[in-house]
Amino acid sequence: MSLHRNSRKYHKWLMLFVGMQLLVWSITGAYMVLMDIHYIHGDSLVANKKPTIAFNNVNYSFSELMSDYSKASDIELGLLQNQTVYRFNDGEQKVILSAIDGRQLSPIDEMLAISIAKDNYTNTKAAVINVQLITVNPPRELSSRHLPVWRIDFDDFASPSFYISANSGQLVTKRHSYWRIFDWMFAFHVMDYIDEEADNKLLLIFTVLAFIASIFGLVLTYFRLMPQKKKRNSKVDNDLNKEIADEKA
Amino acid sequence: MKKRNTQKQSLIKLSTIKKLHKWLSLLVFIQLFIWLGTGLFFNLMDHDKARGNQNKKAITFQKIEHKRLVNLELIMSKSSKPVTEIALIQRLGKPYYLLTHEEGLYSHFKSDYSLVDAYRGEKLIIDDGVASKLAQASYKGKGDVSAVVKVKPPITDMLKERNIAWQVNFSDALNTSVYIDASSGRLIGHSNDDKRFVDLFFMLHFMDYPFLGQGSVGGFNNGQITFFALLTLAFCLTGFIWVIELLRKGRYKFS
Repeated sequence: MSLHRNSRKYHKWLMLFVGMQLLVWSITGAYMVLMDIHYIHGDSLVANKKPTIAFNNVNYSFSELMSDYSKASDIELGLLQNQTVYRFNDGEQKVILSAIDGRQLSPIDEMLAISIAKDNYTNTKAAVINVQLITVNPPRELSSRHLPVWRIDFDDFASPSFYISANSGQLVTKRHSYWRIFDWMFAFHVMDYIDEEADNKLLLIFTVLAFIASIFGLVLTYFRLMPQKKKRNSKVDNDLNKEIADEKA
Repeated sequence: MKKRNTQKQSLIKLSTIKKLHKWLSLLVFIQLFIWLGTGLFFNLMDHDKARGNQNKKAITFQKIEHKRLVNLELIMSKSSKPVTEIALIQRLGKPYYLLTHEEGLYSHFKSDYSLVDAYRGEKLIIDDGVASKLAQASYKGKGDVSAVVKVKPPITDMLKERNIAWQVNFSDALNTSVYIDASSGRLIGHSNDDKRFVDLFFMLHFMDYPFLGQGSVGGFNNGQITFFALLTLAFCLTGFIWVIELLRKGRYKFS
């Protein structure tokens, strides 16, 4: 059997098994390159306005904080809406204190979480349609290290959700429909539908088979598209021409 | 009413699909092999080596003597720029106040900081000497510092970084480079020859070439990949229809 004929046979049979995944790779790949990655990350949904802090009302010092909380680390003086506050890690837990009197303000309540989410969202007219406090079992789109967290859903294009940390009062994650689709696209691209890691055996098998199938395809491209000087295998060509004629009929 | 030809009724004729598939194969085959080859590499590569952190160690922290901390008024008087946040951090085992003047959504976005010694109230400028010490504090390899260079984005080793950085090079077997943010002294990251090798494959997989369009950006939203992605989508779709057609006509037979 000729190289041409063998390649045709192997290309046909291999593509029966890996053709579907090649189509999946091209669809998911096209989606990922067409969507702007910064839009996917939700960066354009965030109003990144950082007002300057007023220090004249900071009556509770870094030093006082450290003597009151001996395990404190990563201490930051910033804003929680219009209040000047300290955020720090008290051991494993994030804590917010008022910078005026050192009063603890965390965890934040529902009203404050909604207000922070709205402040951070670019579309000031969008209404909040759902609020949920998540303390265990985070959804697929949220890392468990952010728990506990308030999920604020907006009634807007692409169903955006903002996640506000209950202990730090900060926006920790933002998601929308196109991110959620992108996440599945990536999972299907690397063929790991749970952890989304590219070093799995399923992907290895399909990539190797697709590579072999494509080499046979390339041989076919050569035979079908390059002008053939000599008809060495006239019998094969005649057979193929007959088959093509049959297909057309 | 005339009886319509069923062949013509279908949107595109099968012979057109086959012709398209053949000609598209000629246009996309090189890139398709690059995608499959680099994809195979990502599948098989050593994911730990790919991070470039072979010589990286965790920075050690010292206990802060909080009674020695200078007060805020003094720190604020050192800053001419508006401040949005003040963090108590450590550099080289000593406490500093990190003043944020401008901060992006992520640490690699455009930012502007300054540092003030938290015990003495003096400003700390990250010069080549400080950058070199900061880099060495994060380095556990055996090499010595061979060069300290100030680099502006785009930085080949750290394509996503948008801030000015100090590149501290070490003379070791992997040619480790350590990057330090020039305004905050933050460790941006390590890179080395293993990571650079992997980066080459990402450049090929993403078609993120330095000589095309906006140059390498460490991403996959560029014109050339969009073009080839759409051609490849058409190529795979026509091939898929072909397989379905062969199945329908009973051409998959063991013989």
